[in-house]
Amino acid sequence: MSIRWTRIAPQLALSPALAVTTVAFLGSILWTVYLSLTRSRQVPDYGIDWAEWSRQYGRLFADDGWRIALWNLVTLGIGSALAIVFGFVLAAMIDREKRGESFFRTVFLYPLAVSLIVTGVAWRWILNPSMGLEAALHRAGFEGASFNWLAQGDTAMYAIILASIWQSSGFYMALMIAGLKSINSEIWSAARLDGVSLWRLYVEIIIPMMRFTFLTCAILLSLGVIKAYDIVLAMTNGGPGQSTWVPAYFVINALSQKQNLGYASAAAVMMLLITAVVFLPLVLLTAWQARRRNAA
Amino acid sequence: MTDVASAAAIGATVDSRPVVRRRRKRITGRSIAVLVFLTVCALFFCVPLYVVLTTSLKTMDEIRQGQIFALPQTWTLEAWRFAWTEACSGITCEGLRVGFLNSVLILVPSLILSVALSIVTGYALALWDVRWAGAFLFLLFMCAFVPFQIIMYPLIAMTRSIGVYGTIWGVAVVHAVLAMPVLTLIFRNYYKDVPQEIMSAAIMDSGSFWRIFGEIILPMSGNILIVVLILQITSIWNDYLIGVTFGGFNTQPMTVNLANMVTVSTGTASYNVDMAAALLTALPPLLIYFLLGKFFVAGITAGAIKG
Amino acid sequence: MPRVSFERIHKAFGAVTVLRDLDLSIEHGEFLVLLGPSGCGKTTLLNMLAGLTDVTGGRILIGDRDVTDLDPKDRGLAMVFQSYALYPTKTVRGNLRFGLASARLPREEVERRVAWAARLLQIEPLLDRKPAQLSGGQRQRVAIGRALVKHAEVLLFDEPLSNLDAKLRTEMRLEIKRLHDELSPTVVYVTHDQIEAMTMATKIAVMNNGVIQQFGTPDEIYERPANLFVAGFIGAPAMNLKRARILRRGGLVAGVFGNGQQIDLGDYAFAKAPQEGSEIVVGMRPEYFGPPDAPAREAAAVFDLPVAHTERTGSDATGYLRFDEGLLSLRVEPGQAARLAGGQKVRVAFPKGKASLFDAATGGRL
Repeated sequence: MSIRWTRIAPQLALSPALAVTTVAFLGSILWTVYLSLTRSRQVPDYGIDWAEWSRQYGRLFADDGWRIALWNLVTLGIGSALAIVFGFVLAAMIDREKRGESFFRTVFLYPLAVSLIVTGVAWRWILNPSMGLEAALHRAGFEGASFNWLAQGDTAMYAIILASIWQSSGFYMALMIAGLKSINSEIWSAARLDGVSLWRLYVEIIIPMMRFTFLTCAILLSLGVIKAYDIVLAMTNGGPGQSTWVPAYFVINALSQKQNLGYASAAAVMMLLITAVVFLPLVLLTAWQARRRNAA
Repeated sequence: MTDVASAAAIGATVDSRPVVRRRRKRITGRSIAVLVFLTVCALFFCVPLYVVLTTSLKTMDEIRQGQIFALPQTWTLEAWRFAWTEACSGITCEGLRVGFLNSVLILVPSLILSVALSIVTGYALALWDVRWAGAFLFLLFMCAFVPFQIIMYPLIAMTRSIGVYGTIWGVAVVHAVLAMPVLTLIFRNYYKDVPQEIMSAAIMDSGSFWRIFGEIILPMSGNILIVVLILQITSIWNDYLIGVTFGGFNTQPMTVNLANMVTVSTGTASYNVDMAAALLTALPPLLIYFLLGKFFVAGITAGAIKG
Repeated sequence: MPRVSFERIHKAFGAVTVLRDLDLSIEHGEFLVLLGPSGCGKTTLLNMLAGLTDVTGGRILIGDRDVTDLDPKDRGLAMVFQSYALYPTKTVRGNLRFGLASARLPREEVERRVAWAARLLQIEPLLDRKPAQLSGGQRQRVAIGRALVKHAEVLLFDEPLSNLDAKLRTEMRLEIKRLHDELSPTVVYVTHDQIEAMTMATKIAVMNNGVIQQFGTPDEIYERPANLFVAGFIGAPAMNLKRARILRRGGLVAGVFGNGQQIDLGDYAFAKAPQEGSEIVVGMRPEYFGPPDAPAREAAAVFDLPVAHTERTGSDATGYLRFDEGLLSLRVEPGQAARLAGGQKVRVAFPKGKASLFDAATGGRL
C-alpha cells in the first residue's frame, strides 16, 4: 500500500498539540503528583521514602494557612455566586426592556476587559480608610459608616468578593442574555394570555428552561474561584496575615516564598482534586442536560 | 395583552392616537422602575472607573482631603507623566513604559504561537478523518479545566531546560500551551459547520492538507479569527501570573510592573500615580472593548461554552 | 476493456454492512446512473470510487489501474456535488483554477482550459463573481465547469440536480446530456430520480439495500424489470402488480386473479415452464392499457371494472379502477378522464406481450 499523504498530513499536523497535551498537561500533572510524594525543597529531590510518602499531605492538613485557604475558597465561591444572581437579574431586565440594551450591556461588561490586577488596585483605593469611600462618607455625615474592610482579617474576604462580583456580573449577564434569547418568544405571549404573573413566569417557566445556562455559569464560576489569584494579590496580597489566602495563592506562596517544592506540589494536587470533585458532577450534569435537550 | 389587543381593535375603528398613548403608558409604568434600577446598577459599575480617572488627575494634596468622589479642583496630567516615565517598579524607576514595551513584545509572539497551534489543530480535528479524534477532543476539554498551579513547576523546569525560561519566548510558549485547549475547541466548533461537500471537493481537487487550509479554509475563517484574536489579546495583555513566573527581570509585562508599583512602593504612596498606572495598563484592552465590543462578547461567550 | 469496475466490493460502517460482494463494470464513454431510494448505498458506492470513503473489502479499477488505495486526487476523477460545494471565498475563476493548480500545469494551459469550460457552459460573464452572487442554476454550471477543466477520464455526479427547481432541472438534464455527447467521458451519476436516469443514462444500475437489483440499458430496465423491486420502483405512475395463480389448460397458459379475471400468458417467454397453480405476480404498465371502452383486438386480458377516481397531472391523466381488493391504474387521455365518473363500469383491454411476471415467493422475474 502506498503512502497516502491525505491520511498522514492531518495526523502530523496534530502532533504538536498532542505533544503539548501529553507533555505539558498530562506529563506535568504526573510530575507534580510525583513531586508531592518527595521531600523536595528548593530543588527537586526524586527519592521517595515510601514509609512516609504522605508526609507533605500530612503537613498540609495540619497547616492553618491551608485550612484558611480552603475556608476562603468556600466563602469566595458562595459570595461570588451572587454574581450569577445579579447577572441574571440584569439580563432579565435588559432582555424585557429593550430600550438602552446595547448601552447597558456595554457598561455592565466593561470590567471584564480589564486586568484583575487593575480591578484590585482600583477597589483597594476605593476602600482606602483615610482617603477613600469611608472618608467621603464620614465627611458627608455618616460617621458610623465603616468600609475599612481590607485592614481587618474577618472582613477582607468581603472586599475581594465585592470586587469579584463587580468584575464578573457582566459576564454572567452576557451568557444569560444569550440563554434568554434562545427561549421561544411565544412563551411570553402565551403566559401573558394566560394571565400568569411576571414573578411566577420567571420562577416556574423561564428559570427551569435556563437550567443549562445556569449550569454553564456555575461551572465557569467555580473555575474562576479556584483560579483566583490575581485579585487576591492585588487587593490584599494574602493579608492581613494569612486571612485572605486561597489555594491558588497558597501554592504559589509555598513555591516562591517558602521555596518548598514538595509542599507546593501537594497543595497543587489538592487543587486538582478539588477541581475534579467540583467539576465532574457539574460537567456530567451539563452533558446530561445537553443530551436531554437535544433529544427533546 | 388582551387589553392591548381589544384597545387596538377599538382604536383601529375610531382613531389611532389614543391607542398609541395608552400602549405607551402601560409599558412605561414598569419600564421606569426597570430603567431606574438599571441606571443605578450602571452607576455602580461606573464608579470605580470614575474614581480611578479623577484620582489620577488630582494632586496628592487634594487626594489627602478625602474627597474621593469630587472632581479635581486643579486638573493635572502630572501623575500620568510620572507613571509613564519615572515611577518605580521594584528596583528600576523608569516608569510603566518599560512594562508596556514588554507587554507588546510578549503579545506578538504569544498571539502568533497560540493562534497558529490551535487553528491548525482545530482544523485537523474538525475537517479531517483523524484517528482517536473523539478521545483527543475529550482530553482537550478536560485540559481546559486543569488549574495552572499543578503544571506550573514542570513548565518552569521544561522551559528552563530548553533555554527560554525568563525570556519573552518562554512567556509566549506558556501562553500558547495554556490557551491551546480552549482555542482549539473554539476553532473546531467553528470548522465543524463547514459543509462536508466543500471538503470533499477540495480533497478531490488538491488533497493537500496545507493548501486546502491556506486557500479554502483560512479565507473562510475571518469572523472566528477576529473573535479569537480579541479574546487572546485581552487575556495575554491582562495576564499577571504567567508574566511574573516565566518572564525574566527585564521582560516582565505591564501588569507585573503595576502590581510591583502598587504593592511594594517605597515611601509614601502616590495614589494619583497608582491610578494613572492602572488606567494605562487597562487602556489597550478597554480600547479594543469599546471599539470591537461585539466581537469581544462573542469571544468570551465562545470561550465560555467551549464544549 | 472495462473502464471502471468494482470487484467484490464490501463496505461496513462498524457492525452495519452497507454493501456486500458487489460487482459492477462499465465501458469507456458510458453514462452509468446509480438509481435507488435513499439509503440504498448508491452514494457510498460513488464515494468509494471517488476515494472519499474507504473500501472495507474488494477492489476498484479504473482502466487497468487499481485505485483502491490511491488518494482521491490521483484517481483521474472529477466530481459534481449535490450542494455544488463551490469554494465560497474564491471567484468562479478561482474555483475553476483550484483543481488545476495542484496538477502543476503551465499557466497558459490553465487559462486555456478555464476559458474553454467557461465558453462551453456559457459562464464567461460570471468568471469574476463569487458563488454567493450566483443563482442556483449558475452555481450548478460552475460546479460542472470545475469538474470539466480537469479533463478527467471519469466524471462523477452526486444528485447534482436535486437542489434545482423543476424547470432548471429539465434544462440542466439536457445540458449534461449534451456535454456527454460532445465530450464522451465516462460518467457515474447518482440519483433517486428515475426521469433523470431514464433520460440520460446509457446504463442504469438499480440499487436497493446495498444490492444491485438490475443492471442494464434504460429500455431493458423499463420493459423487463428483473424483480418486483425494480418493477415497482421504475415508472410513474407505478406498474400495476397483481397477484394471480397459473392456470394450464392444454397448450393454454393463463393467470387467474383473485377476483376471477384472467390474463392470457401464452406468448410470455417463460425462463422455465410454469407450474399449474403456482403463485405469481403480474405486472402491467398503466400506459399499455387500451383506451377505456374502445374495441379491443389481440388483447391478453379484458377487464370490466368500476371507476374509483381519476387524477389529472397536466399533459396526462390517470384513471383508477377497482380491481380485486386494490386499484388498477391506467393512463388515459385527459379528455377521456373527465368522462370517467366514479362508480361507472368501464371495459379496458391489456395487449399481448407487454406483461411482466414475477414469482410471488422470491420476487424474481419468471
